[in-house]
Amino acid sequence: MNAPETMKQFRPKGFRHVGTRPVRPDGVDKVTGKALYSPDFKAPGMLWGAILRSPHPHARIISIDTKKAEALVGVKAVATGRDLPTLESLVMHVGEGASDIVDVSHNCLALDKVLYEGHAVVAVAATSPEIAREALGLITVEYEELPFVLGVEEALAEGAPVLHDNVFTKGVEPKPEKPSNAAMRVEMGGGDVEGALASAAATVTERYTLEPVHQGYIEPHACVASWNGDGQAQIWTSSQGHFAVRSLTASVLAMPQSDIRVTPLEIGGGFGGKTTIYLEPVAMVLSRKSGRPVRLAMTREEVFRATGPAPGAVIDVRIGADAEGTLVAAEVEFLYHSGAYTANDAGAGVSSAIGHYRIANTRVVGTEVLCNRPAAKAYRAPGAPQVNFAVESAIDELAGKLGIDPLELRLKNAAAEGDPQTSGLPWGRIGWVECLEAARAHPHWSAPLGPNQGRGIAGGYWGNYGGPSTVNVSVAEDGTITVATGSPDIGGSRASMAIMAAEVLDVPYEQVRSVVADTASIGVSMVTGGSRTTFATGMATVQAAEDVKSILCQRAARMWGVSDDQVEWRSGAVVCLEGEKQGQSMTAAAIAGRSFHSGGPIAAVAALSAKGWLPGFGVHICDTEVDPETGHVKIVRYTAIQDVGTAIHPDYVEGQMQGGAAQGIGWALNEAYIYGKNGKLDNAGFLDYRMPVASDLPMIDTVMVEVPNPAHPYGVKGVGEVPIVPPLAAVANAIHGAIGQRLRDLPMVPDRVYAALHPEG
Amino acid sequence: MVRIVVMPPFDKEFFGEFINDGRLDLAPHNLFDLVEKLEALAPGFAAIAPARVHFAVDGVLETDWTRELAQAQEVIVLPRVGGG
Amino acid sequence: MSKIHVSTTVNGDATEYLCEPTSSLLDVLRDTMGLTGSKEGCGSGDCGACTVVLDGEMVCSCLVLAAEAEGRTVATIEGVAEGSVLHPVQQKFLEHAALQCGFCTPGFIVAAKALLDRNPNPTETEVRYWLAGNLCRCTGYDKIVRAVLDAAAELRQERTPA
Ligand code: FES
Ligand code: FES
Repeated sequence: MNAPETMKQFRPKGFRHVGTRPVRPDGVDKVTGKALYSPDFKAPGMLWGAILRSPHPHARIISIDTKKAEALVGVKAVATGRDLPTLESLVMHVGEGASDIVDVSHNCLALDKVLYEGHAVVAVAATSPEIAREALGLITVEYEELPFVLGVEEALAEGAPVLHDNVFTKGVEPKPEKPSNAAMRVEMGGGDVEGALASAAATVTERYTLEPVHQGYIEPHACVASWNGDGQAQIWTSSQGHFAVRSLTASVLAMPQSDIRVTPLEIGGGFGGKTTIYLEPVAMVLSRKSGRPVRLAMTREEVFRATGPAPGAVIDVRIGADAEGTLVAAEVEFLYHSGAYTANDAGAGVSSAIGHYRIANTRVVGTEVLCNRPAAKAYRAPGAPQVNFAVESAIDELAGKLGIDPLELRLKNAAAEGDPQTSGLPWGRIGWVECLEAARAHPHWSAPLGPNQGRGIAGGYWGNYGGPSTVNVSVAEDGTITVATGSPDIGGSRASMAIMAAEVLDVPYEQVRSVVADTASIGVSMVTGGSRTTFATGMATVQAAEDVKSILCQRAARMWGVSDDQVEWRSGAVVCLEGEKQGQSMTAAAIAGRSFHSGGPIAAVAALSAKGWLPGFGVHICDTEVDPETGHVKIVRYTAIQDVGTAIHPDYVEGQMQGGAAQGIGWALNEAYIYGKNGKLDNAGFLDYRMPVASDLPMIDTVMVEVPNPAHPYGVKGVGEVPIVPPLAAVANAIHGAIGQRLRDLPMVPDRVYAALHPEG
Repeated sequence: MVRIVVMPPFDKEFFGEFINDGRLDLAPHNLFDLVEKLEALAPGFAAIAPARVHFAVDGVLETDWTRELAQAQEVIVLPRVGGG
Repeated sequence: MSKIHVSTTVNGDATEYLCEPTSSLLDVLRDTMGLTGSKEGCGSGDCGACTVVLDGEMVCSCLVLAAEAEGRTVATIEGVAEGSVLHPVQQKFLEHAALQCGFCTPGFIVAAKALLDRNPNPTETEVRYWLAGNLCRCTGYDKIVRAVLDAAAELRQERTPA
């Protein structure tokens, strides 16, 4: 073990609850197996659904014959793309980039064309899972196979098969006349890149590549839907946002949102991949047809073939510095896999590339490329890790050429508050320099290395988000508090909401309980994504708790017969400051117990669109040991340093940093989609898509740097996404340190490392 | 007048023929009004704006489109970045 | 095909069920008996979310046929606590925040308890290798390993007479 135990003493000053580490309120249910996740839910009389998926990467659907399946005893409904309404194109934003609702619909059930192996084509509902699966075997789909394309460069080549005849590259002038697989192009920057590179003392010009990777949540997608003849429906599912499930499902089915009540079940991981819908409209249609609730659940294989992944990429970097190590120019051009549909997300890659450095001359160009793979979905800091891997590797290469320490080179050029981002907007109160300084001061940075070992460092950032959240804080008759939010709890947010409400009200943590309410029981809230929940839903929690505190004060004042300004909230109770009751105090219990005779129940709703979010920055230090015989890379020591604003519940902040680092290490070393020549995914299971296991990793040391966000009552900055950004380059740089060879293609699997060690073959 | 700076991809996607260097001058009273004025120049912009656009007023992102622009110098129209 | 009748013991209770010859023990636990604490992350023996103990041996219940439980004893996550009193492994998972989404947690707790039942004093490396069949995508394993080591220490103390 290498993490110093001193981290446990971490505690921001001046708070009673913020910065403490209480047990989460949903904890006991989750360690005893009682918590209900998506695949655990059953409705009375429920049918079991199953989905027939395309065996081809690209084909036209000529005909679908479902007669035999419908005749099978026990089959109650069959649905195809024809059962979904025809929709007008509408781009919707649900918190992870924008999707056209027509694409969302066609991705749920294909219409006319299948665009990737695994694309859903027909769905059935039957009285048992066995019958549903048997029915799939009785369906005949006639396809006309079309040429397919998997790689981004191949997809842009002249004569490549074009996926959509209505996609004309967005963001180019003049507007293209021909449809193509280049869905969108975004270019930013300024200055004279060529001139500055020509006069630079050292330059690096390299290409870096990454394969698509899956988010890898352990809970497969599942839902139960029940849609009655009167138009009203219920959906039980886990997601990163049940309001997004409601709005997307209602839009796909062209029905009123208020007719759908979505009850959030516990979510077994999302990482961005559960900010959309795959199954819900299909289960709804099957339910409407059969008159019974219907469960649809994916197998792990279906999860791999039909959901996620994060885009793979081809990235060209040119970067230069003067002899003192001042960066003078950078050019980054990348192609991202978009998969079957436009993700409208190239901008995230562009703004996450080089904004962390002060560089006078820049050009960043990102293109999103359609290809016959599942539609790319958000994965933790979507679009950032890929381009960061390229840039932070190139910075390391440049440091080597200049003979400058890679940490010092970063520090010398690090952007700070007021410096421009790639978009030209000035950075706010960011903690990037503070993180680099913490890295330099950390014992890990100067610890000796053993044989075959190398050390790498990389820094990265993510913009984070705010946005809409609704919170209801209510006081029970005994004075205990319930906080109801519309934000699914993926990693401890119930605990952090309870902490913040307890902090405002200055009452014991256990006096506040926090729940996630369904779409009919609380107002709209955006997804738990974009690292926004502790920030934005936290802001709403603080505001609603403040309002409750004011109401409690007013009620006490009225009972005492004094004015509102003659009372004050102190240590969880109202104190009378003047008059004959001066010095008396009334607890929340005393006030709430009499609330029915003093104006009614006590509750407050805060519905807001949170502003003032700030980006997060992280620096990771990684030590690797490379086995020269096999090329196997072992992570021997790892430290993640991050500006977290203020840590509300430090255990869960550390947990985000450790989990993000582990995912990034998996991306760097093992994970990749592997396709056969036939356009089919060869590794659609956890055996062949290998995510890190406990024995692959050391303890992951964490350092929480606190540069509070002035716009949040407790200084919160989003923390969840940043930690997946730096690991890719940190590992690559550490491997370079160990073997003196640079690997520019992920994943850095043993045969690639071995080949780098033995170039003679 | 407020200087409106339209960043990629929207400059080329919508406003290529109206602006030089991604800049134009308008007098919107708030951001809703700005969206309307931009829609008048480039039909289709208003439909995608809520999902794909962020506005920055004098260097600070502003998600409240009722924000008054009488005192503003510059509004940047830039791509909205989501999250996972 | 006709169903198979099985008599078995689950978490100490004698139980009977009818199952398809192809059903897994996990299917029957979850769908027939309503014991949904054991999770299905893969159905192919690769994630450990379905871990149970069968006649004292840790197994992936997705790889065991339901019919194979005939005459044997099955212990699942639902039987780890004694009534409302959590097992030290469960308690330490809570104290160390060793779960984020919690979906992998039942499998980890059953596996960790099986480890500590046979090895009360494991090293960090032994814990990591024992748990290598359980996937967690959220935590990076750090806090899980600490929770298990801490639970081991507490169990050793409980066993030592004062
Ligand atoms: S479900 Fe049994 S090992 Fe994954
Ligand atoms: S806590 Fe989510 S998979 Fe382990």
